[in-house]
Parts: sequence; C-alpha cells; structure tokens
Amino acid sequence: MSAEYQPNIVAFLCNWCSYAGADLAGTSRTNYPSNLNVIRVMCSGRVNPLFVVNALQQGADGVLVSGCHPGDCHYMEGNFYARRRFGMMKELLEYVGVEPGRFNMSWVSASEGAKWKDVVGEVVDKAKEAGPFKQFRRDKINW
Amino acid sequence: MVDVAKLKEIARETVSRDDVKYLIGWRQGTFGFRAAPHFVNKPEDVDQLIFSPLCSHNLATYLTGVEKLPVPRGQEADSRKVALMVKGCDSRAVVLQLVEQGYGRDSVVVIGCPCQGVVDQKKVEAKYPDMGENITAEWGEKTIIFNLPSGKTEVPREEVLAGKCLTCRYPNPLLADAGAWEEVAVWGSDDYADVQDLEAGNPQERRAFWEDKFASCIRCYACRNVCPMCYCEDCILDRLNPQWITRAVNPTENTAFHLSRAFHLAGRCIECGECERVCPVDIPLMKLNRKLTKEVRENYDYEPGLDPEAKPLQASYRPNDKEDFIL
Amino acid sequence: MDILKLSKDKFADFLATLSEQKLYAPQKVGESLRFAPVTENSKVELDMANTTVPPKSIFFPQTETLYSYEMGNTEMQTPREVDEGIVLGARPCDARALVIVDNLFAWDVDDPYYQDQRAKNTVVGLACNKPCVNCFCLSVGGDPASTEGLDVLMTELEDAYVLEPLTEKGQKLCQSVAAVTEQAAAEDQDGAKALHQQAREMITRKIETEGIPEKLPTLWDNSLWQETADSCLGCGVCTFLCPTCHCFDIQDEVEGIEGRRCRMWDSCMFKEYTLHTSGHNPRPTRRERTRNRINHKYSYFVQKFDVIACVGCGRCINSCPVNIDIVEILRQAKEAL
Repeated sequence: MSAEYQPNIVAFLCNWCSYAGADLAGTSRTNYPSNLNVIRVMCSGRVNPLFVVNALQQGADGVLVSGCHPGDCHYMEGNFYARRRFGMMKELLEYVGVEPGRFNMSWVSASEGAKWKDVVGEVVDKAKEAGPFKQFRRDKINW
Repeated sequence: MVDVAKLKEIARETVSRDDVKYLIGWRQGTFGFRAAPHFVNKPEDVDQLIFSPLCSHNLATYLTGVEKLPVPRGQEADSRKVALMVKGCDSRAVVLQLVEQGYGRDSVVVIGCPCQGVVDQKKVEAKYPDMGENITAEWGEKTIIFNLPSGKTEVPREEVLAGKCLTCRYPNPLLADAGAWEEVAVWGSDDYADVQDLEAGNPQERRAFWEDKFASCIRCYACRNVCPMCYCEDCILDRLNPQWITRAVNPTENTAFHLSRAFHLAGRCIECGECERVCPVDIPLMKLNRKLTKEVRENYDYEPGLDPEAKPLQASYRPNDKEDFIL
Repeated sequence: MDILKLSKDKFADFLATLSEQKLYAPQKVGESLRFAPVTENSKVELDMANTTVPPKSIFFPQTETLYSYEMGNTEMQTPREVDEGIVLGARPCDARALVIVDNLFAWDVDDPYYQDQRAKNTVVGLACNKPCVNCFCLSVGGDPASTEGLDVLMTELEDAYVLEPLTEKGQKLCQSVAAVTEQAAAEDQDGAKALHQQAREMITRKIETEGIPEKLPTLWDNSLWQETADSCLGCGVCTFLCPTCHCFDIQDEVEGIEGRRCRMWDSCMFKEYTLHTSGHNPRPTRRERTRNRINHKYSYFVQKFDVIACVGCGRCINSCPVNIDIVEILRQAKEAL
C-alpha cells in the first residue's frame, strides 16, 4: 500500500444528473479515484451551506457539490439558486482561510460519465495539494 | 440636517395618534458618550428624545424583536402601528424587512433622520477616557462637537466616526413617512479597502487572523440579537435537533457559528455595523460581512435594502450569473 | 506575615518563577483581554482597567467536560487531574465574586469540578489604583483593595509592586519568589495604603442597597421592568461577562462512537433558558427575564446566602449594547419602594 495521503471528500450529488452521471461512470467501468463519499440529494439547490461547514467540521478534507447543467434542472431552477449560494459560500470560505481547492462545484449531466471522471480527478488532486484539513475540524478539544 | 425641535414636534404628533402604539427613538444614556433606545409611550416622554452623533443604535431591530404573548380569550390583539426613527442605514433595514415580509408597510410609521455619521464608542472613549458624566454631542461642519465638562470641543469627524459611516453612501433615509429634514450630502465612497487588505494575504494569513478573532468569541449572541435582519423565531443556534452548531465554545464551533451567521446575511447585510458595535470582545464582524457585501455588489450587481420591490438576492437568479468557479 | 516588594525590573524574573507552575494572567485574545495560560511568548497585560472576561472562566470554564464515554465501554472517563496553578492579576472585585459563587457551588451538592479548581489555584490580586467610571464596588460591600478571595494582594507603585500575603497559599507563593523580591519598607506599605485610599475616593457611582433585598420582589408588577426590558436585546453580554453569574446548561456531545457530557455557561437572558419541553415558558418575555436577573442578584441570592450577588465591577454597564444600567435600575427601584 502506498503511503500517499488520501483525502476524504464529501460529494453532494443531485439525484437527476450528477448521481446518474457518476452511476454511468461506474457502469461504464471507468477508473477514477475512490476518495469520494457520495451523498445523494434531490437537487443541488437542496444543499444547505451548513452542510459544507458541517462536513469540514466532521472530517472532510474537501467538499464537492454537483448538479445539472444550468437550464437542465429537474426542478427548473434549483441549480440557479445553488450557483448563487455557493458562489458566495466559496468566497466566504476562502476569506476565512480555507484553501481554494477544498470547496468545489460542478455541473455533470447523466450522460457525462467521462466528465465525472475528470471532475473527480481534479477535485482529488486539489484536495491532495491542500493537505489534511485541520482548521476547524471538530476534534476532542479539551475533552 | 435635522431640525431636532421639529423632529420632536413630529414625534409628539405621531405618539398622540390613536393608531400608534409607541414611538422608538433615542435618548441620552446614563454615562459618558452613550445614547440609549427610547420607547415613547406618552407625549410627555418626547422631551427626552435626542438625535445626535451618539445615536448609533439601529432601532429597526425592535420591529421584529417583539416577543408576543398569546392574546387572552375575548381580547383582541393590539394591531396599532409602531413609529420608528431611522437614519439612512436603518431605513435600509426597514426596506429589507418589508421585502422579506417581516411585517406590512402599514404597520409601521417611519420618521426619517438624515445622518451625518455616528461616533464609534471605542474611538471616542479612547480619545477621552474616564468620562463618567453624561456628554452630549452635535454635528458641526465636517466635525463632531462634544460638550465635554471642560467645554465644547470640536473634533474632525474622521477621528471619531464609526467605520461604517466613513464609507456611508446612504446617509439619507430611503423610506420615510415623515421627517423634518433636508438631505445631507453623501460624503463617503466605498472601495472596500478593509476587505481588500485581508484578501491580499495568503490563506494562512487569513486563517491566522480569523482564528485569533474567533477564539475570543464568548457566544453571547449579541451580534445576532442586535441585527435587524436576524429575526428568525427559531434560530439554528438555539435548536437542539438537529444541532448544527453545538453550544460548546471552542475554535471549531465558534468558526462554524461565525460562518453561518455571516452567510445568513449574504445579500442581506445592510451595513449598519451594529454587530461589530455590540461585540463585547471586539471581533471585527463587519470585515466578514463586508466581504460578502462586496461579492454581492461586484458579481450580482445587487444591494439589499434599496428597493422595496426588488426580490431578495438568494430568492432570485439570473441565467448568466457568475460561474467561473464551477469545474 | 512579611510584606514583600517586587521591583518592576525584576517582573520578568517574577513571571518566570511563577510560570514553573500553571500560570494564568490577563492577555490579549483577539481584541479582548482575558485570563489565559502564560507561555513563553505571551505578553502579560497588567496595565489594564479590568479584563473583558472575568477570571471566573478559570474556575468555571465556559465549556467544561464533566465526563466522557464511548460505545461498548460502560465506564465513564472523568477528566484529567487539575494541576496546581496561580491566577495573577485578578481584580479584588472579581476575587470577591469567587467567594460569593463558592456559596452556590457548595450549597446542596459539592461541585467537585469548581471546588477542585478553587482549592488548587492561588489567586494573586491586583488592587485597583484607578477604578473605571462605572465601578460601584463600595456600594455592594467591596473595596478597590478588598482582600476577600485573594491569597496575595499586589499593589502597583510607581516602580515596584507591593505583595501582601494573606493566606497560607499566599505565603507559600511569596516564599517561592523570595529570590526576586525584598522586604517592603514602611514607606512602600504606606504608599500602597495611600493608593488604596485614593482609589476609594475615585469611585463616584453608588447604589443604596438598604431594604432592597427584602423589598425588591414587592415591585413584581412595577412598570420599571417593562421600561427596562423594552430596549433589551436578550443577548448574553451582561450575564456572560458578570463575575458572579454562574448558571449553566448541561449537554451531551456525541462524535462517532464517543461522546461527552459537558456543561456550558447559560444565560437567564436567553429565551431558551426557562423554556419547558411542553413549549410553555414561565418567563415568556424579556420583562420577566430582566426582572429575574436583577431580583436574583439583589434579592434571591441574598435571602439564601446573605450576600449580594453583585460585586460592582461595572462590566454589564460598560458592555451593554443598549445602555441598560444596573445602577440606574436600582435607583429607580429604590425610589419606587
């Protein structure tokens, strides 16, 4: 086993596009890193920014939110709201000193198994570069 | 400029109205350079009203902060209006509360007070320490005049004004039912220099800066309670299930608290600076809020609290919103 | 007991000697002053009016683990032993507050966590030479040079400190710093006393407490409470920064298969403080909560422990965002009585 650092990444995938896209990557036997812990949500617009903060607190080294391409949302406009929300959230996280590579967002459709592989590769590379997240990890402080 | 005598006259008339429950304004505080919110229930209480550079409180927070008791059977709820004195920044809070439908337009009477800037207690107390006596203040031409025990003292306003006032672009109320005023000239412009200073550093520097600040937080929630835009009846911070942020006071939870507090104000902060003013441990909260204000202005061309008809930022979108951060 | 003199040039050596044990002293954390453990790089700030957060945070930390546990193990793990330590630079009012709070933590149940910290820490007080504008300790039984709750009283002279040991613990501490101190001359002791007297005369704010403990609850329905609570924001500044406020909440925190039960400061000014599971709240508005805060300090606590649970440090007045002034409230109460 290699001693290389393996980041722990939490991915919130929308049910209709990104989850299906990741599924396609799997059924097509695409090889991609296994650092992701996928949480399926109904829409990227359902992801609360607190989920991101909480994931980082509880042990994630990186977070990915992925949804349908703009215009393709199953709920018409959920990903438009998510885009605004996380555009600001990313800025805020970076402003308090979270490395830029830790929070990522992507659009992956149900047919984009190959894009999913690239996205995962990029997210994992960025998280590896940033190293283990310690900034506000919830650990046993004064327990 | 505000004619205080005339303002009092308006206040007296307003309080005497049958459909007005009370008026919220300011009065001189109990020591030093302090002012305090003043609830005027009877016309004779109007005499204590002031409007001076000490009136930093954003009274709009009292519109949504009322704790209502259940109405006893057989009685009717008090539906009278509340009258409120507002400065420029406070009026933006009222506008945004109306946008977010915190209450209806006809349940509030807004009395406008154009403002030439309020003093920062910390700055003025550092300049004139140990003032036990009550000190009044007034605006001069680009100065603040303090009536110190040693006599009138005129101070250039840059030395004592709160940070938010030095960059204020909306000194005149944007919404008012009444007011005895002429508009004051806008003197400030905002280049977000304080935010840019911090942005210029690398992530490690920013992290060190905020870790130090957040470590001192005692989680008294004064910043939340004073904020006119924080009016959820059921706040995530008080909830036990799910408990997003635990009550433990340590760097982790404090950071999560400050991130969520700031983010809940994304596109909603009207920059009244109250959170920073009330913080007992002097965390520069506006530096956090203003980062988001800056992003919102630059990327979404949006400023909250200007237009009562505008949709809230996070409840709207444009198809061509910024997406350069998306993989 | 011998009164010692510590020259200011030797203050660094004095600190070095004390920090052989765990030493807490006022330091800047963020923008605020509070008691924190002294390490090699810390900058001790004794030139202050008072700390933002009172030293109660050492004896009764804002978050304190009572015990921890893990799944599959029926035994609880109690926290580690408390080391002996020194608290340097507590103001006499804050030290007096500890004596007041001692009553509570030794009342129906002996609180081992608090009492352990109290027994193992030596408190070195720093007499107030320059009280703040909102200090009113003289009115509530305190003094700028009060020795209650202190093991050593330090008084700052121009170029030296006078150290007066008051208890056995204090004497032990003074012996340990013998190498850097000398006997205080009579004029230094007189100088310290003169400074104490000078400080007493500088305190201008006062309250009349006569009759308050017995009669304050009779003002139950007085309009005073509504008027005070009108502007109250319901935040926890006054109670969290109060050296005698001691209310806490107990919560369980679970992380994976491990958990801990901890207690954290709570504030009677919060709505959730008295909220019942049923949804009923016996103190439904800020009027009742404000009334309770003042009544508790000036009446209920006195009836139980015969001492006013306020030391007159002025923190709640200084830090209140909306200028709610306890001196003013009590003046109005006294008038209404």
